[in-house]
Amino acid sequence: MARSTSKDAQALFQSLRSAYVATPSSLKIIDLYVCFAVFTAIIQVVYMAVVGSFPFNSFLSGVLSCVGTAVLAVCLRIQVNKENKEFKDLPPERAFADFVLCNLVLHLVIMNFLG
Amino acid sequence: MVKLCVLIAAVSLLPILCLSFSPDNPTDRRVLVLLDDLSLKSSHSIFFNSIKSRGFDVDFKLADDPKLSLQRYGQYLYDALILFSPSTDRFGGSLDLAGVLDFVDSGHDLILAADESASDLIRNIATECGVDFDEDSSAIVIDHKSYAVSETEGDHTLIVSDDFIQSDVILGSTKVEAPVLYKGIAHSVNAANSLVLKVLSASPSAYSANPSSKLSSPPLLSGSAISLVSVVQARNNARITITGSLDMFSNRLLRSGVQKAGDSNKYSKSGNEQFVTELSRWVFHERGHLKAVNLRHHKVGETDEPAIYRINDDLEFSVEIYEWSGKSWEPYVTNDVQVQFYMMSPYVLKTLSTDQKGLYHTSFKVPDVYGVFQFKVEYQRLGYTALSLSKQIPVRPFRHNEYERFIPTAFPYYGASFTTMAGFFIFSIVYLYNK
Amino acid sequence: MVGKTEPVNGSVKQAAMSSSSSNPSRSDLLSSTFSLKSLKLKTKQQELLIRVSILCLVYILAFITRLFSVLRYESMIHEFDPYFNYRTTLFLTQKGFYEFWNWFDSESWYPLGRIIGGTLYPGLMVTAALIYWTLRLLRFAVHIREVCVLTAPFFASNTTLVAYFFGKEIWDSGAGLVAAALIAICPGYISRSVAGSYDNEGVAIFALLLTFYLFVKAVNTGSLAWALASAFGYFYMVSAWGGYVFIINLIPLYVLVLLITGRYSMRLYVAYNCMYVLGMLLAMQIRFVGFQHVQSGEHMAAMGVFFLMQVFYFLDWVKYMLSDTKMFQDFLRITVTCAVVAGAIALGVGTASGYISPWTGRFYSLLDPTYAKDHIPIIASVSEHQPTAWSSFMFDFHILLFLFPAGLYFCFKRLSDATIFIVMYGLTSMYFAGVMVRLILVATPAVCLISAIAVSATIKNLTSLIRTKSKTALTTSTKGSSGSKASSKASLDQSQPFQKNGAIALLFGAFYLLSRYVSHCTWVTSEAYSSPSIVLAARGAHGRVIFDDYREAYFWLRQNTPPDAKVMSWWDYGYQITAMGNRTVIVDNNTWNNTHIATVGRAMSSYEDEAYEIMRSLDVDYVLVVFGGVTGYSSDDINKFLWMVRIGGGVFPVIKEHDYLVNGEYRVDKGAAPKMLNCLMYKLSYYRFGELVTEYGKPSGYDRARGVEIGNKDIKLEYLEEAFTTSNWIVRIYKVKPPKNRW
Repeated sequence: MARSTSKDAQALFQSLRSAYVATPSSLKIIDLYVCFAVFTAIIQVVYMAVVGSFPFNSFLSGVLSCVGTAVLAVCLRIQVNKENKEFKDLPPERAFADFVLCNLVLHLVIMNFLG
Repeated sequence: MVKLCVLIAAVSLLPILCLSFSPDNPTDRRVLVLLDDLSLKSSHSIFFNSIKSRGFDVDFKLADDPKLSLQRYGQYLYDALILFSPSTDRFGGSLDLAGVLDFVDSGHDLILAADESASDLIRNIATECGVDFDEDSSAIVIDHKSYAVSETEGDHTLIVSDDFIQSDVILGSTKVEAPVLYKGIAHSVNAANSLVLKVLSASPSAYSANPSSKLSSPPLLSGSAISLVSVVQARNNARITITGSLDMFSNRLLRSGVQKAGDSNKYSKSGNEQFVTELSRWVFHERGHLKAVNLRHHKVGETDEPAIYRINDDLEFSVEIYEWSGKSWEPYVTNDVQVQFYMMSPYVLKTLSTDQKGLYHTSFKVPDVYGVFQFKVEYQRLGYTALSLSKQIPVRPFRHNEYERFIPTAFPYYGASFTTMAGFFIFSIVYLYNK
Repeated sequence: MVGKTEPVNGSVKQAAMSSSSSNPSRSDLLSSTFSLKSLKLKTKQQELLIRVSILCLVYILAFITRLFSVLRYESMIHEFDPYFNYRTTLFLTQKGFYEFWNWFDSESWYPLGRIIGGTLYPGLMVTAALIYWTLRLLRFAVHIREVCVLTAPFFASNTTLVAYFFGKEIWDSGAGLVAAALIAICPGYISRSVAGSYDNEGVAIFALLLTFYLFVKAVNTGSLAWALASAFGYFYMVSAWGGYVFIINLIPLYVLVLLITGRYSMRLYVAYNCMYVLGMLLAMQIRFVGFQHVQSGEHMAAMGVFFLMQVFYFLDWVKYMLSDTKMFQDFLRITVTCAVVAGAIALGVGTASGYISPWTGRFYSLLDPTYAKDHIPIIASVSEHQPTAWSSFMFDFHILLFLFPAGLYFCFKRLSDATIFIVMYGLTSMYFAGVMVRLILVATPAVCLISAIAVSATIKNLTSLIRTKSKTALTTSTKGSSGSKASSKASLDQSQPFQKNGAIALLFGAFYLLSRYVSHCTWVTSEAYSSPSIVLAARGAHGRVIFDDYREAYFWLRQNTPPDAKVMSWWDYGYQITAMGNRTVIVDNNTWNNTHIATVGRAMSSYEDEAYEIMRSLDVDYVLVVFGGVTGYSSDDINKFLWMVRIGGGVFPVIKEHDYLVNGEYRVDKGAAPKMLNCLMYKLSYYRFGELVTEYGKPSGYDRARGVEIGNKDIKLEYLEEAFTTSNWIVRIYKVKPPKNRW
């Protein structure tokens, strides 16, 4: 049973990887960015678990800036992905401009919340 | 030339007119003495002369004088009142029970002496001050063990007592060696009153009864519960002395020798003169009168008084206390004055340190609680005027920019936020210029 | 009158326009109507002109219908809470924003003080201050009080605009116009937004509707910009009112419903995630809200749905990537189990360890209405928190009450993302409106929108029925006919007159109903919701009599007491005393410290000597009571007294409620309980009242508010003395005497 599940898992990974290779490079850049943001968030949570949550507003602003960038990047990916029928009327420039605006607001609020 | 002399004389008299009772000069100046009959002027002349010799203006009037009045156009004409008129039912003029009580409640002093003919009016004045005379109007203090030995009297109504209150302020620094002779009625202090004190109590064997009739029931007042001389220091620092013996002030008792029954000591002079003189000094504010001025507080390093403090501020507090020596204000030196920083309960309680010149100061840290606090100095010592000062000051919490600017434990979060921002810039450049 | 019926006609015309917008003969007809104008407007432009003029009229209507009390009395602030808001706005305009943000007030809740900067919702004050500064910049020398009085009507007008756009988003522009018109005069909204009612709700309903509109727009378009706008709308709502909890729970519920019914799409993901993350960040900038979005049980639903969405869309993406369905099923099973288990553990640990705080009493009593009566008497004692009676629904909604289910029917017929949202908003808000009278206000926009859909759809159908006959007649005449068409049209022609007459009759019926609605709303606004409650009016023998006792008493306090005097009164009057009397109070309407209020309640219910001890410990100088026995005013302190006893007894068990009742009955006459006849509140209310004859034919000491002769007429006060009684005996002020001098 365990071997079949591990075999299944391996097969799963193989098919996922093969499907992923087919995605265009711009989307892969976005995915890399998302992974970087999530990774940073996880580091901060581990640090908080070790040290304690004393300046809670700083912790929240750090974590939320990572989570926010990840979420906004995923939204950008959705809007820019040519295989999404719902967004075929949306010019990619408009999507990127919205993305930049939201990030601007995000970072301004983070700066206010940080200290 | 004559006109010039008159002018100079008139001008030099002005300061004397200003030397009336004032907070800067708390000793009473003008005393009104109300008498039942004018023979008291001579029978109590030693007492009155001792008062006059200390610089008081003593004004003698009959208690039912129709022109009697304590105030005119809202100003009081006298600073102290001596009621040596025990049998008066009604005062003449515009004076009555309420008038006497208002006189005391506006900060003036009173000496009240009764004897066995005490009228209801005098008894009511005493009750309003917390002193209850024996309800039996024919009862006198009798003491079969502590009476004055003499050739003539035999019903033990002239008693001696040396049960004084322990207070140098009220009775002076010199101990009264000889006991005091007393002949009069008994009173007790009202237990509900927290301001009345017994200065001279009767001995445990005294009781209050009619000397000429047989006792039908146990006397109501007996033992040391009987007070012979009581004082009240009111909350506005008016001082009242009440006693049941007018004879205690008389020349006869002041000059006579005394020997207590069963005691071999024979004193050539009773303690009455020293006792009543020292007591009158206290009542007329020549001793034990304190004033506290210049209650100041400021933050360490500043001189102005701020309108509001912040929590965890360091502040300094100072107050000056002076004592009236009879002629001038001397610094009051003691080591038990405390200040409280109070909000429904004292958060800080510190003893003030003195510089021996009347200045008391301390410094402390404002507690970590915000609210409206008060600096409270409460100083009540036996015989001294009660000092009760308070100054209100609010304490606020930190403003948003008074916290620590950069917290070391939060550096990773700062780093992460800036890294994310940098990542955003790099990402957008890479994304836009990709392909 | 023209202005009020105009929107009804306009909506009819609008419906007619949209149903036949491109018919050339129609434009000919209209161009002949507008032949007075030299320019020939195209149909689209005419439509735009009509719509804009209707909206302008509705905007003005919404503003002027709220001005009754300004015209009848004067431009003043009503009620109790608005006085606090006015005082804080005054402070803001005088001292600037940083002082306001850090304000520590030592004049209320003596001696504890109150950090006002950190315990209020600043949206309303900042909005009024911005309007004030803008007007000042334009050189209008207005006083801040006028700005405060007129802020609520101004924002009510803005709400009508937002309602128009929202209606247009959900259904079409006709529904939007009707919604704007309905919400302009709906009594449920007017009750909290008349001129003078300077309270958070006036601005908050605008923010609520704006947030919802922007979110629905974001879900419809899937654009990040609209989601960002809705995040800002949410931020404005959080800064304005504590009722933002409704938004942060309704939107996740809506997302959940969409996910369950299979209507999820990429647009939903973009809209919700952007709004949630940015909205949460912005909301945490308000000091009063602080970290509640991650720590309070009321906000956990949003976070749960956020994580659920990530899992859901991740699975969707994996499913898209994988071609093999069986592998995907296994993967799905594993992931879902892991996610659910992880979520349950996190929630369980959080709640059990107390990190996630449970629902606070105010919101918990909405889910369990009996909770407050047993556990938190302060919440139960507020009259606005009582459950709603049917008459209140009818009074506040009138015909909208039965148009609401009709609108729900239409929404279900044409389900889309937007109509699902409005249905959910309507149903949840109606439930909460049934629990608490105050929340009818939150239900009003939903009810108006849904009813507008019903009205608009019905009238559109009816008018299209009226027009079909003429339309088919024209088509037969201009286009010629084929055989089958002719036969069907012939049969249609025979039933035409019956259908058309019926449609006209129904149309007139609809207009009549709407006109009755308008007159009801105006009557309600004029009679019920325009009283300032600080100035009382009654009908006397020669017209109207005004009782201005409250302000008389507060100004007496301001002018005749030392500046640092402390006033003790029941918490209802705290804000007014601080704002108008400018004196320190012991407790006020913020009710944040129950023990302090219970101490005051205990003092009012005790005998005079015990109360004197309590008052000395709180440094009280004056006591203020409100008494309605002379005028028959029934909201006085004797009628509120049992609440003082209950709240005091909740903290100090020495105060027992049954001591003040006789056989469970609350009486003040001779048969009253002895503790009642001698408690401080009784003495202070009825001091010297026993000598007064209040009504012809009744004995002296007849209490007109209770309708009985009082039991204890010879009252003597030992520790207090009467300082001031207003001309109609409504407000009585007593001075606390210092301790006795010789005792």
